[in-house]
Amino acid sequence: MTTQSPPPSRASAQLSNTKTTVEFRVALAAMAIVALLPLGVGNAYWLGVLIVSMYFAILAGGWNLLAGYAGQFSLAPATFAMIGAYTTGLLNHYYGVPPLLGIVAAIVVSGLVGLLLGRAVLRLAGPYLALTTLSFAEIMRLVAANSIDITRGDLGLGVAGLLDSRVGWYYLFLGALTVLLVLFYLLLRSKAGLFLQAIRDDEVAARRAGVDVVFWKTAAFALSAAASGFAGALYAHFAELVTPELGLIAQTGLILSMVVIGGMGTLAGPIIAAFLVYVLSEWLRDVGGYQLVVFAALVVIFARFFREGLWGLAMAAVRRWRQA
Amino acid sequence: MSGIDVDLAVNGLITGLFYALMAIGLSLIFGILKIVNFAHGEFYMVGAYAYTLIALALGVPVWVALPLAFVVGAALGWLTERTLMRPLYAGYTSWGLMRDEYAVIVTFGLSLFLINLVDKVIGPYAYRGPPLVETSRIVLGPVLISGHRLLAAGIAIAVIAITAALIKWSFWGQQIRAVSQNRLGASLAGIDTAKASAIVFMLSGGLAAFAGALLSPVINASPDVGVFPAIKSYIIVVLGGMGSVPGAIIASLALGVIESFGAVYLSYQYRDAFGLILLMLFLLFRPQGLFGEKGREV
Repeated sequence: MTTQSPPPSRASAQLSNTKTTVEFRVALAAMAIVALLPLGVGNAYWLGVLIVSMYFAILAGGWNLLAGYAGQFSLAPATFAMIGAYTTGLLNHYYGVPPLLGIVAAIVVSGLVGLLLGRAVLRLAGPYLALTTLSFAEIMRLVAANSIDITRGDLGLGVAGLLDSRVGWYYLFLGALTVLLVLFYLLLRSKAGLFLQAIRDDEVAARRAGVDVVFWKTAAFALSAAASGFAGALYAHFAELVTPELGLIAQTGLILSMVVIGGMGTLAGPIIAAFLVYVLSEWLRDVGGYQLVVFAALVVIFARFFREGLWGLAMAAVRRWRQA
Repeated sequence: MSGIDVDLAVNGLITGLFYALMAIGLSLIFGILKIVNFAHGEFYMVGAYAYTLIALALGVPVWVALPLAFVVGAALGWLTERTLMRPLYAGYTSWGLMRDEYAVIVTFGLSLFLINLVDKVIGPYAYRGPPLVETSRIVLGPVLISGHRLLAAGIAIAVIAITAALIKWSFWGQQIRAVSQNRLGASLAGIDTAKASAIVFMLSGGLAAFAGALLSPVINASPDVGVFPAIKSYIIVVLGGMGSVPGAIIASLALGVIESFGAVYLSYQYRDAFGLILLMLFLLFRPQGLFGEKGREV
């Protein structure tokens, strides 16, 4: 019962920066490995699996910024991916807007919706915040699924593709993920990162210390939503189809499990875990389809016993190895 | 009020009774631990399966299978409390900061786990539970209702009344309310708060499972059958004031009626959205609900 250490909080600026830098380097190394994978993986199916892993890695990274760093436990990350996907999807389907422009519009629209949601839920925390964002997610999904005249409902909306080659898509997603990783790193290394973590650790104290809590909480919502919307828009053109299923609560569950298993509030953990979880789940699907049972159990076990996730376990192992 | 309105009102109230069976437990859990149990719908799902499988596979009479479903739900509730909820109040003061997040993660994870486990072990197909009575539709003036639904509504009223009475007057009920009001104060007065939490989870799991069992001939048990009832009960506890049992009962009946009329007069497709919009509006503008006391934690 007492094996757990408290979450990494109130770290000094120096310490926090070194920690984030180590995480950033490990994440970059992981991206480098991912960049080399197509040399060995010629199979289009597994390339597709890795592309979807990167889609989830962006979502997990974006949600981790909001939930792990800023402590705002929203249950709507998948919804913003859906909003992003429908933004570019509808623009493309009805007005023939080219995908690249549509993707930019998706980032803006989902970021704005995130901003509004963040603004609306400013005073809410804990279970109240979780419930409000969950209802927001369900309302959005119901609207998308039932506005059949516009979105074609569950049938899905066909949208234009962007690239012909799968390897091209692979590197596009990888580029997007890497750009976001760098952006998050720069953000977290700056004062903003400290402000967000201060709000997470003690909102009242942060306000007393002069942190503009309203601004930074709203900003965290908007940034996280924009990242999700970006991922959703890319995915829309990759799959050439947009459906309300992108916003299912189960999708949010998958994102949440990646972040929890990887280690909430660490830069590298959730992104690496997104690959592990998704690739492993595809493999488990072949072996008997127990993937969701396994991951749900892992989420509960990690939350209960290993609160710092795989990243925390790895760091503890490194420390022990150095001492020995 | 025309005939169809009476029919809508009565059927809405009956739906509300089943909502209440779910929402009372959720509200009690919020009261005692200040968390939302995101796995509440899965207690309902397990109840529906327990009743259906016990009655069909084991050939047990429905009147025995019904209380057994309650027992299965209560056992699951007890297990959840012992294994996952204890850290919320036993020691662990060092991570009080992430307490709310822990609760959301484990209950959300438990929900996914149970849904997918049942999906793999029992299968994704829907099972129709045996009805309590084999009567076709009964016509009471303008109201059209099936025999099973009428009987189930009667049982629901009885169970709700017994539960409310137990919480109000019984020894354990008073202890539960004391812990909900002030955990530290209650424990200083000699109340076993861990036991009170365990009882709340057993009662809550049992009631939700009972609701699932009662409705299983109508809803057709499938792994994700608990998702929507759970969302309804979130709406209800917010409307009624988180932690308030009378509030939960009144809000349940109100939501049943609102949905019943909304589906006919406003939009059938969006019937599930009305409650969610209410929930958001309430959380944003009146988080203490209709009957909750205003208070803020710092």
